[in-house]
Amino acid sequence: MPVAARSIVSALRGMLGGERVRDDEAARAAAALDGLAPRWVVRPAALAQVRDVLGLAHDAGLAVIPRGSGSSLELGHPPARMDVLLDLSGLDRIVEYNPDDLTITVEAGATVGALTARLAARRQILPLDPPGALTRTLGGVAATNASGPLRARYGTMRDLVLGVRFVQADGVLTWGGARVVKSVSGYDVPKLMVGSLGTLGVLGELTLRLYPLPDAEATWLVSCRDAAAAQELVLRILDSTIQPGRVELLNGAALAACGAVESAAAVAVSIATVEAAVRAQGEALDALARAVGAAARPGGEDFWTRYGAATEGGRGTTLLVATLASKLAETVAEIERSGPAMIAGCGALGSLRVSLPSRDPAHVKAVVERLRARLAPDGGSVVVQRAPRDVRVAVDPWGPIAPGAFALMQALRDEFDPARVLNPGRFVGGL
Amino acid sequence: MLLSPGVVGELQRILGAGGLILSPEGRLVYECDMHTFYKGAPDAVALPERAEQVVEIVRLCRRERLPIVPRGSGTGLIGGVAAPSGGVMVGLNRMTRVLDVDLPNRCATVQPGLINLWLTKAVQDRGWFFAPDPSSQMVSSIGGNVSTNAGGPHCLKYGITTNHVLGLEVVTGTGELVRLGGKVADRPGYDLTGATVGSEGTFGLVTAVTVRLTHAAQAVKTILASFTAIEDASEAVSAIIASGIIPAALEMLDELMIRAINEGTGAGYPKDAAAVLLIELDGPAAEVDAQGERAALFCWERGALEVRVARDDAERALLWKGRKEAAGAVGRLAPAYLLQDAVVPRSKLPAIMRELVLIGARHRVQIANVFHAGDGNLHPLILYDDRNPDELERAKAANEELLRACIAMGGTVTGEHGVGLDKAKNLPLQYADADLNFMFRLRRVFDPDGIMNPGKLLPTHPACGEGFRPERPRLPEGAWI
Repeated sequence: MPVAARSIVSALRGMLGGERVRDDEAARAAAALDGLAPRWVVRPAALAQVRDVLGLAHDAGLAVIPRGSGSSLELGHPPARMDVLLDLSGLDRIVEYNPDDLTITVEAGATVGALTARLAARRQILPLDPPGALTRTLGGVAATNASGPLRARYGTMRDLVLGVRFVQADGVLTWGGARVVKSVSGYDVPKLMVGSLGTLGVLGELTLRLYPLPDAEATWLVSCRDAAAAQELVLRILDSTIQPGRVELLNGAALAACGAVESAAAVAVSIATVEAAVRAQGEALDALARAVGAAARPGGEDFWTRYGAATEGGRGTTLLVATLASKLAETVAEIERSGPAMIAGCGALGSLRVSLPSRDPAHVKAVVERLRARLAPDGGSVVVQRAPRDVRVAVDPWGPIAPGAFALMQALRDEFDPARVLNPGRFVGGL
Repeated sequence: MLLSPGVVGELQRILGAGGLILSPEGRLVYECDMHTFYKGAPDAVALPERAEQVVEIVRLCRRERLPIVPRGSGTGLIGGVAAPSGGVMVGLNRMTRVLDVDLPNRCATVQPGLINLWLTKAVQDRGWFFAPDPSSQMVSSIGGNVSTNAGGPHCLKYGITTNHVLGLEVVTGTGELVRLGGKVADRPGYDLTGATVGSEGTFGLVTAVTVRLTHAAQAVKTILASFTAIEDASEAVSAIIASGIIPAALEMLDELMIRAINEGTGAGYPKDAAAVLLIELDGPAAEVDAQGERAALFCWERGALEVRVARDDAERALLWKGRKEAAGAVGRLAPAYLLQDAVVPRSKLPAIMRELVLIGARHRVQIANVFHAGDGNLHPLILYDDRNPDELERAKAANEELLRACIAMGGTVTGEHGVGLDKAKNLPLQYADADLNFMFRLRRVFDPDGIMNPGKLLPTHPACGEGFRPERPRLPEGAWI
């Protein structure tokens, strides 16, 4: 049945209030994505409003694109349709903070920065540090499972989220998981929601596990003669009793971008614990560095700030390359063979962020496809994290998924959002 | 339910001689797990050795609409492997091979029947271990650990099973063999591995598991502190956590449990102790030393009767001895007990302990406590005499009330044992209809015909059977249609 636009806008305004629903040209243009402008930009102030908007969108056959801080809108396929841009930045309350239990429940639009500030007073941390984290929303970080250097010790959002409240595509408000640090009651719904790009539901609230702020921290930078030596150092660290916070591998271009002394490759390591143990492990690290013909030098207090800024990605194309720790060097070599690239990422897990200056679809396509072929036997992957629309049309931004697993993913999507209300077309396989 | 001769013939063809148990006495062995309230022998027990056989079994059962009950070592505590509606049990304990050990990439791939501790034994001389350590780890299978998302004393620091599973090979309820996840992190797409861990065999049968291995720590320090009041011990726990220490394990025993243990093998706990706290720290030596001193100080400050620090492995084993024998020791207090597994926010420990005393008094049962204090995971043992039916009923009533009390404090109905048959009915305490409906539909994606471990994990809605109809938002009338 055809839908009259006027009545939808009045329904939306009835739900949210006039100022929270925009349909003027300026607002629509500002919210455009991949050349597609939404018909309405809505900014709910409460989860109940998200529920109502999705209920309406579902019944009226509208496509909804959820947005947090807008930092990852160039992730995935260009959307197939977009009627409503659902701006979640208004849902930014801290619902419940239990410092004694090391848990916090927050609305999805709260930023990592706001949370960090709140936790600092109690000397606690949420160890999530994807590039640009401070201004990113927690819902966005969860929906994209974005991670940073601290994952070497603390894991990703997948390991930190305890509970999720979300709104399904038809407007049903749903809860999964628990508010305590340990629970196995029912299916692990939070795991399913993390990294699902809002295609199974719009994240509204997250309960997160927190960690105490360690007493002391130090950072070392180990310049290596080549990527092979850097890989060797990473493997030696992993096979030692050192318990690092971060183990990042950088190529020469990434080092230069951090303003560090130039070399072909380097490993940046941070260690955080009690003062004496930081010192002792720093010495152990230096011994490992010497074994690969390098030395551990202090990285400086602001190293990770510089590193974060350098890896945030420029105007080119950003890839997330997943390989094995034992294949870091050959993966780096393969990337560098195809032209200039800044490579930096978690050496411990083989998760590399690659910034290519190129925005040329044909070039990026060639690089990505060659890398995918190289990584496929180990189950590695290349995801285009950020690129202009043309690039993401030329090359599948997610890459192939094994058919059996994909059939299940499709069945999931068909079960929970058969009408494709949420982010239509953006996720893997165009789901 | 009885199997037709045709089905039996097909199962025999798939499994070969010795791979199928049909005799009543043979099947009886498989009627329950460690939770012996829930019994039901399957119509046949299949013991496959290869994933291809599992595929064939599932396809056959799907065609015939026969329930499938997966089973590992049968050490579960939730009735998860009972077969009350018969069907085919698939015992995976003949698939015990270590398929791949890849230490540079910190992982191993194993068959589901491999015993948890065997994996650690295979890699420990090179300095590695498999971190999830349920108390049953000497006998429980890794497939079973995956199924229930098992925890253990050391998951306070290292996380539970799901944090250590990188990939799975699963035969889903449709008989498809699918590979989820793998050695490399960051797979694009939904985290089907994460969703499958803890699904208690309701999504399918796991035929291979890729797990993360953890490097052994440089040093371990074990401290035992005893207190005259459980509140003091709880406060010491809070102080330790608040100071930034994340112990590898933080276990507590209450007065009744201490008495039971002291009367037995004699772990030598002080007689007037009302609470014993076992603190284990591991990590770099300098860290363990500094944090050990700090933790001991917190205990003294909270009025500890004594604080013992193990000087070597033998002393360490001695300090753990009482804790490990806890469940057996209560046999001295009563002929039977119900073992509970619920969680409260850690800060609510003193409150829930007071509540437990009241619940015990109300139902005239004794409750002994041993628990993972660091994460608020309680394991109350409700003692009763199984020769007295009235006492069993009172124990069950206390059990239910205890769960409700935990939920009221913001907790959860199971921390690490799982749901199974035992707690399916309790999930509505914690989840609304919409939440349960989501789970039902999730299950249907993996097992559209409902043949995989039916009756486990999810409750049946009293009115609408399956489904739990959720409430949709009420939209303004006549707005756009």
